[in-house]
Amino acid sequence: MKTRDFSLLIALALLWSFFTWQVPDFLSARNMTMLSIELSTTAVAALGMLLIILLAHIDLSVGSAIGLTGGIAATLVFNHQWAAPAAMGVSLLAGVTVYFVMGFIIAKERIPAFIITLGGLLILKGLFWMVIGNQTVPVKAGGEENMLSVLTTWYLPLWAGIALVTLALAVLAFALIRSRAKRRGYGFEVESGELAFSKLFIKAQVLILALVVLSQFRGVPLSLVVLAAVALVIWVITSHTRFGRYLYAIGGNEEAAVVSGVPVRAVTIGAFMIAGATATITGFMQTAYSGASTTTTGELMELDAIAACVIGGASLAGGRGSVPGVLAGAFLIASLMNGMTLMAVSPEMKFIARGSVLALAVWMDVRLSRRGG
Amino acid sequence: MPVEPILETRALTKRFPGVVALDQVSFDLRPGEIHALCGENGAGKSTLIKTLSGIHPTGSYEGEILVNGSTANFRTIADAGNAGLAVIYQELALVNDLTVAENIFLGNEPTRFGLVDWDKIYRDASALLERFKLDIDPSARTGDLGTGIKQLVEIVKALSKNGRILILDEPTAALTEAEVAVLLEILRKLRDDGLTAIYISHKLDEVFAIADRITVLRDGKSITTLDAADSSPGEVIRHMVGRKIEDLFPKRESAPGEVLLSVKNLTVQNREGRELLHNISFDIHAGEVLGIGGLMGAGRTETLMHIFGAWGRRVSGTVELDGKTMASPSPRKAISNGLAMVTEDRKRYGLHLDQSIGFNLSLSSLASTFIDHNHEVERTGEIFRSLRVKAPSLETGVGTLSGGNQQKVVIGKALLTDPRIVFLDEPTRGIDVGAKIEVYEFINRLTEEGKAVVLVSSELPELIGMSDRIVMLAEGRVGGVFRRDEATQERLLAAAIRFHKDAVTTNPAHL
Repeated sequence: MKTRDFSLLIALALLWSFFTWQVPDFLSARNMTMLSIELSTTAVAALGMLLIILLAHIDLSVGSAIGLTGGIAATLVFNHQWAAPAAMGVSLLAGVTVYFVMGFIIAKERIPAFIITLGGLLILKGLFWMVIGNQTVPVKAGGEENMLSVLTTWYLPLWAGIALVTLALAVLAFALIRSRAKRRGYGFEVESGELAFSKLFIKAQVLILALVVLSQFRGVPLSLVVLAAVALVIWVITSHTRFGRYLYAIGGNEEAAVVSGVPVRAVTIGAFMIAGATATITGFMQTAYSGASTTTTGELMELDAIAACVIGGASLAGGRGSVPGVLAGAFLIASLMNGMTLMAVSPEMKFIARGSVLALAVWMDVRLSRRGG
Repeated sequence: MPVEPILETRALTKRFPGVVALDQVSFDLRPGEIHALCGENGAGKSTLIKTLSGIHPTGSYEGEILVNGSTANFRTIADAGNAGLAVIYQELALVNDLTVAENIFLGNEPTRFGLVDWDKIYRDASALLERFKLDIDPSARTGDLGTGIKQLVEIVKALSKNGRILILDEPTAALTEAEVAVLLEILRKLRDDGLTAIYISHKLDEVFAIADRITVLRDGKSITTLDAADSSPGEVIRHMVGRKIEDLFPKRESAPGEVLLSVKNLTVQNREGRELLHNISFDIHAGEVLGIGGLMGAGRTETLMHIFGAWGRRVSGTVELDGKTMASPSPRKAISNGLAMVTEDRKRYGLHLDQSIGFNLSLSSLASTFIDHNHEVERTGEIFRSLRVKAPSLETGVGTLSGGNQQKVVIGKALLTDPRIVFLDEPTRGIDVGAKIEVYEFINRLTEEGKAVVLVSSELPELIGMSDRIVMLAEGRVGGVFRRDEATQERLLAAAIRFHKDAVTTNPAHL
């Protein structure tokens, strides 16, 4: 294991020990459930950010985009009595369009993403406040649950949770067996069966442990399933598609990528559009989690998303980063925020802690990059 | 009566791993003379300058450097500067947004009470410019000046820091002819006022216009020192190339086929709107190696990169592939049309140094939306083995490889696109002889398969040894086209400097 992965695990262990020592309730099933919901929002935003950071760009506007997209959906549902799926569809379209425009300007006019998305941060925030009319707009019209509101309030029944975990394990085992068979077919070396099995066994244990803990409260939260789906999609994109390979190529050395025939502009715009979709999904979940769209929804989430990427080993210089890393980084950020809330840390101290973690993560990124690790 | 030299080297030898860059170089500079250094690319001119100016510190070379008769041990560039040596490089070190006066005193600002003394800066700058009889406004923004004027500002800056010996490295490479004339005129005036200078240039007409003496370097050795007044460009060329071609180049039968690519009357500008290629035409046949030669800045790389769609704005002309015009070029389209490019600057344009060999090899030839990793490993593994890349596995980082092995990865990446025409820009630069021969063998393999190879090289023996035909570029124009059997180093070199006035043309019949 690399130094970076290892230090991340140690940091997580230390953080969890500290919170458990301070507030024994930290490990309770109820809090673990809350943590998993908070993880979902942070991680989905960070996964979209990963695509942009891989390109050596940055997205400072995601916090405002989260507010705006959640705000559009909530307004259509509450003020205009739209059906939630239609409202969410329109909101998704808006989110992707906004990111298409930003990506287009950045790729075509070669203006730094920092500037365009900084402008985006303010413009989208302004649009957001216009949409909700500076009011608090609930996600439920007439107190009835809908597709938007259930995102963070609905839990899988136990049988569904068990079925899901079983399915996940079956897929993992099948994928392992199939990949080993294919590698043998090509005549490549295959990792020892024992090692492969123990890796699978550890994954199974983690999944089952999570299921057991979450089931003691209300079950597996729907938002965690959403996160799993988004993570799967982004993982496939980054490690199993040509598009993903191009992301790494552009971020690593854009000039060499151009000469190698990589369509830099199209890939950049595509990455921004996907990030627009993940920002919108985060917007739905974040808004549903607070029960209503308010002027502060999503605020500063861009920083958590960036921090999650960097903590998870993504390089701000581009070309390096992975989905498992970002998930781990988001887990650390979500744990920190959740633990501080449990400890009733004052808002001002929370800001300082968040900022320190971000600065620390970037500092480590610079240090480790310099060593070439 | 011999004059005491102001700067002298005695048996100066500088070794790099695997090469002797300078071999017993003896050279002396008399006060008040302009002394030209001539030699082909790689003859050792830059190494000599770097050694004289402290970039290669004392202890890293054998032999002696003497300033005013006593041994100098420069540890840093600053040491050399304090001894009065000032180097002016091709790339100017001026800040465009500062004024002329600010640039002259940059890093050396006179202060009063801890604050920059602006009055003194402008007063002193005016005085300096006046002393050198230069009509330049010290408060002009440097970026607004022409390249030639900037060059003069750079010279004034160097002299203002008590520079007694000026080293000018290709000072006219970026200048127009009018600017060159002004620069030479001023250098002559400065010499009459006692300036001593080493002048490095490929352009023999300039050398003969300005130099008092000429030292020729070849293969790291100082061949001879001539009095300019008693010599001729022809004599200098003979000394520059006087070497026989070693039997480095594997023999092959060539059977050029039909025309694959036809370049017609290309005129191309760079991003700043300067025309760097003028009316270039040539054909590329299947199964042949077309060599492209020329001096630095002749437009060789630009020509390749433009055809490949990676550089320049076309003013006029067409590129035809199989008789059909290739529209709006981009590297992506060029690759899908069967072109492949191995760039000269591998680190900048050729490789992703942080990534693995496998990542680099497959990047240009990812055909399907989803990547089948096993298939990828099989495909890249094949070329990895056939090119004999020396590395533990495909997972090895490209950044850890030697130059020759990195070059093989770039070549492998190009080959995996299954090209019909392969552009190789200086494919053997900076790699050792063993890897060079492998590159030559690989070129021959390509032509045997009926592919066309375009080989850009600064080394004339390599061009003559490998090419079926050679196009010499000069100043962005075609200076001459030669069949292999009519190509000699003298003829090629003459074609390379053809568009300078007073240039030597040994055999106009071939141009």
